[in-house]
Amino acid sequence: MRSKTKENDSDKLKTEQAEKDVQKLKAKTVEEIAKRIEEAEAADESSEDSPFVSEFEDSDDESLTGDDGSVDESGSEKSELSGDEDAVQSSDDDNPVGSSDDKDTVEDNDHSSVSKGDGHDNLGVEDGIGGSDDSGAIVEESDSSEDEVAPRNTVGNVPLVWYRDEEHIGYDLSGKKIKKKEKKSKLDSFLARTDDSKSWRKIIDEYNDEEVELTKEEIGLIRRMVESKAPHADFDPYPSYVDWFDWDGAKHPLSNAPEPKRRFIPSKWEAKKVVKYVRAIRSGLIKLDDKPKEEPRFYALWDESSSADRQGLAYIPAPKPKLPGHDESYNPSLEYIPTQEEINSYQLMFEEDRPKFIPKQFTSLRSVPAYEKAVQETFDRCLDLYLCPRVHKKRINIDPESLKPKLPSRRDLKPYPTTCYLEYKGHKGPVMTISADSTGQWIASGSKDGTVRIWEVETCRCLQIWNIGETIQEVAWNPVPELPMLAVAAGHDVFILNTRCGSDEQQRKIEELLHVDPQAGADDSDTNVSIVDWGQDEAHGGIRLKHFKTVTKVEWHRKGDYLSTLMPSDILFHGHICSNCFSDNVIVGSKDGKLCWFDMDLSSRPYKVLRCHPKDITRVAYHRSYPLFASCSDDCTAYVFHGMVYSDLNQNPLIVPLEILRGHTSFDGRGVMDCKFHPRQPWLFTAGADSLIKLYCH
Amino acid sequence: MPKHYRPAGKKKEGNAAKYVTRSQAVKYLQVSLPVFRKLCILKGVFPREPKKKVKGNHHSYYHLKDIMFLKHEPLLEKLRDMRAYEKKVKKAMSKKNRDLAERLLTRKPTYTLDMLIKERYPKFIDALRDLDDCLSMVHLFAALPAADRVVDGEKIPVSRVHNCRRLSHEWLAYISRSHKLRKTFISVKGIYYQAEVEGQKITWLTPHALQQVLPEVDYRVLLTFLEFYETLLAFVNFRLYHSINVKYPPILDPRLEALAADLYALSRYLDANGQSSSMSSEAITSSGSDQAESELRLAQFQQQLSSNEPGALMNLVEDAAREDEDDLETQQCKNLFKNLKFFLSREAPRESLLFIIPAFGGTVSWEGEGAPFEEFDQSITHQVVDRPSQGHKFLSREYIQPQWIYDCVNARIILPTEKYIVGCVPPPHLSPFVDNEAEGHVPEYAEAIERLKAAERKEVLPLPGMGKEDLDDPQSLLGIIDRAEAIEAAKRKQKMSMKEKVYHEELKLELEGAQYSAVRSDVDDRVAEADAASDLRQMAEDAANMSEVGMPRKKRKLLEAMKIGRQKKQDSINLIKKRKKRIDEARSSA
Repeated sequence: MRSKTKENDSDKLKTEQAEKDVQKLKAKTVEEIAKRIEEAEAADESSEDSPFVSEFEDSDDESLTGDDGSVDESGSEKSELSGDEDAVQSSDDDNPVGSSDDKDTVEDNDHSSVSKGDGHDNLGVEDGIGGSDDSGAIVEESDSSEDEVAPRNTVGNVPLVWYRDEEHIGYDLSGKKIKKKEKKSKLDSFLARTDDSKSWRKIIDEYNDEEVELTKEEIGLIRRMVESKAPHADFDPYPSYVDWFDWDGAKHPLSNAPEPKRRFIPSKWEAKKVVKYVRAIRSGLIKLDDKPKEEPRFYALWDESSSADRQGLAYIPAPKPKLPGHDESYNPSLEYIPTQEEINSYQLMFEEDRPKFIPKQFTSLRSVPAYEKAVQETFDRCLDLYLCPRVHKKRINIDPESLKPKLPSRRDLKPYPTTCYLEYKGHKGPVMTISADSTGQWIASGSKDGTVRIWEVETCRCLQIWNIGETIQEVAWNPVPELPMLAVAAGHDVFILNTRCGSDEQQRKIEELLHVDPQAGADDSDTNVSIVDWGQDEAHGGIRLKHFKTVTKVEWHRKGDYLSTLMPSDILFHGHICSNCFSDNVIVGSKDGKLCWFDMDLSSRPYKVLRCHPKDITRVAYHRSYPLFASCSDDCTAYVFHGMVYSDLNQNPLIVPLEILRGHTSFDGRGVMDCKFHPRQPWLFTAGADSLIKLYCH
Repeated sequence: MPKHYRPAGKKKEGNAAKYVTRSQAVKYLQVSLPVFRKLCILKGVFPREPKKKVKGNHHSYYHLKDIMFLKHEPLLEKLRDMRAYEKKVKKAMSKKNRDLAERLLTRKPTYTLDMLIKERYPKFIDALRDLDDCLSMVHLFAALPAADRVVDGEKIPVSRVHNCRRLSHEWLAYISRSHKLRKTFISVKGIYYQAEVEGQKITWLTPHALQQVLPEVDYRVLLTFLEFYETLLAFVNFRLYHSINVKYPPILDPRLEALAADLYALSRYLDANGQSSSMSSEAITSSGSDQAESELRLAQFQQQLSSNEPGALMNLVEDAAREDEDDLETQQCKNLFKNLKFFLSREAPRESLLFIIPAFGGTVSWEGEGAPFEEFDQSITHQVVDRPSQGHKFLSREYIQPQWIYDCVNARIILPTEKYIVGCVPPPHLSPFVDNEAEGHVPEYAEAIERLKAAERKEVLPLPGMGKEDLDDPQSLLGIIDRAEAIEAAKRKQKMSMKEKVYHEELKLELEGAQYSAVRSDVDDRVAEADAASDLRQMAEDAANMSEVGMPRKKRKLLEAMKIGRQKKQDSINLIKKRKKRIDEARSSA
């Protein structure tokens, strides 16, 4: 339904054209205006009398609804009223209303229908419900005519583009051209705008080519629309419902229909629903009592019948917590309580070595406090239980002695040297080297004091002394018993000495041998002239072989015909190389104290490594006839081993440590310098840095 | 991942396929870490140690089978449901939809752990084997204050504490009633008990009955463990109670329960029910609807009956019947305090003693309401007192400190009481869990107890310090066989060398033409003797080390490690012995 509207009348008429015009403009201007409103709100002066077309949008629907109503109700009056309309229009022309008659005008529905029927499309601004018709038709008409006042321009709803290039913008009612106004220059318009404080409420109506100033009410209207409210301030969108119908007084029912049967019989669907619930309750699906009855929660879980196998992976039970010892007692034995110094010394320990628990004595049970770490320890235990990886670990609980290999009884492996039997004293310096005669009657020794001595083995008698003057590196007996000669390496020289130990015949033979003419020497080693220089040594009664470097080793060939010498960085072969070996097995002693047994047939790696000496091994020796070998070291000990090699290849060599021989004392960081076996007996000679030679016998 | 889901390019076998890290497992199971943790705890899944740690050393690895085991656990789905439910409740709450929230709160999804227990412990004996942690934890929580408190954001509900108390009392009542307690030990941490149930030694720790310290730990973990343990212990109790023909859960006298004498109430219930089950089984079956009340009445009736003559007689008969079943140790335990009557002063640890004394056949009462007999009862033989001095003393009874009972129990004899009288410092309390002989140091009081025990058995023990340990220690015996040989050989050798020396000496003297003098040889002998002693040791050592020379490195290292371990142990014993010596010296000088 229409509500009443306020209107301002002005020279600008409110017509549908104008409306449309405004509608068109609206898009452009509403925002602009809204903005302007905001700007000028504060400085807004209350100015009235600005003509404006009041209705924009809602006039559309209102007119439409109006249309419907009109169609329903009146059709007959059309013709008369159309006449009316005409008159109104004309009158409009006559008196262009300058004054604003701001009053609520009430119109009949007829009028709106008139306007509709008039052929002017949707228009009907001024309508009202009920009201006094008698207030004066003229006023009414004038009012309505004001509403219906056609725009000055009569071109209708055509695009204004058509008139763009023309001088006029259309025609007025009398058919005269309406001239376009002079366009103001931008500057002028700007100045005008700045001068005129009301310029913000002015908009240009392009259709009629004129400036329209919006009134305060219109501005308010626009603002409400922008806020998406109803345009009219006093429009109540949610009126409280008034029930106009007078219920009580009605004598007759509204409907004449008889009461239906279903109002008298119980509902079938409800019955079905009830049956459903009843059944559910009966079957126990719905329990009505609030608290369900306490079921016995526990039952015989482990009954005999059920299968008893654990599923999943093998279960590794967690280790049980450690049981407490005496020291955890509240009243421990006094010896379990650490003294104050001990407790203080815990502070110096590493965090992880420090004892976690310090025993303490309480004199009575009542004085024992709560254990402050109880929850913490339980928590730690829980963490262990679910976070620690579990593995089966084999804990060896055996006597450590059982780890040691079982050795064959040493009694069965006799004879071997066990005790020091004789000591040969005489050298003034560390004895560097010893050598046993092949007959086993003599031994020769060389010392750091520059002497070579020959001893009789059984009596400790020193038979002969040569003073070479340099540190003796090596002495070696000729292995041929008939030729008891001695090769001595000292400094750059190798001496071959006559020991005078043999019989006369042998002596003669040796002297013959040891006589060297310079030519022979040259013949002997013509290729190695620069290396070895042969010559007679008169002072010691032998041959002197001069080398160009220090000789450290000298060794005879087994047959006694050749000898080899070793100079560091260069080995000269005077025959075969000789090494400590049983058939295919080589024993090597190294400076890191390891004794390696190499089986040449087996591998290039040692068959057995014996870690016997903590210090350098100075010499290893093997026995010619007994299955014995020995090592001596700077730690003042000599080890004797049983080393048996079997002819059966399937049987591994048997290596048994037999004896540790002690007795030498350390001198200048050196211990035992050399060891040699007696050629026949299972005896061992050792030469010590303490200038002693010892003989160990079985 | 499992075989049929294995994407191309993943490992088929080996450690990479068999083990997954924890984060992988969590991702695979599509649960959050707390839920995974809970599942692991309840299900008993623990990380394992793969031979090769494919992802690095700082991860914990789970076996894929374990993870699949978790994946197929119905509990997983339950936990997911609970999470969804919590979300629903929260949502309703925050939308202020009180109706929905309240309705939801009445329908909280629950789960039970029965099947998990069955799965983890297929046999009852398995459950007993793993009961140590369970009992310790339940007893710890039973000792926590029964007040709702928020510790570290996590609430320990009062109901849980009460439940723990109930369960622990039930357990103690069973052990006490069936005389299965074997050892007790008061430590600083609490009181340790060891019982033997179905051949399994079960040890647990009960904290001292004092206010417990609650540190900042993750109580969610503890409560999850507790949840499992509570269920486990309840089922174990059920089984144990039924094994002695008593209904579970027991119905207690509310009067005694109110007086916090649950344990006594329970044991009374057990006693009563144990007899009634055999005597009047019809009575129990006939009591139909309101079973609880009638049960209780019956229990009280039985209690009264047992004090009368026919009841006592019945009791005796039954005891005799049962004695055949009991093993020797149980018999011994049952009769330790047989004719003794104890009275506990109010400062004595009541709960512990109420448990121990009946377990060893004694009768006990305490100062307070609900006690079976009063302090002035003339038949009381011992009164347990833990105070500096006792005012009024009855001459007919002995006043002892609580430790006496614990020591008696461990020694299994009635010890003389003079060392435990009121006001004095009792003798040291020794741990029954230590094998003194194996440890290497026997405390003085342990020896004293041993002698007393021997006197009880009418045997004669060798006096201390007779070299008994040498013979007893099997390890030293073993060593002797090896070493003795070496020493003997060395001795022989030494003798020979000495003889040789003497021979040479004589030879020299002879050469010099001097007279053989006995005096000189005597002196020599002495010197040689001293030499021989050191040499002998040297030789023995040599002989021992000889075989080490050829040992492979791996074995040698192992041997060294073992030696170090033994040395450490020996050192600690030496330290104790040193302290003991010092104390003795101080005492003798004082």
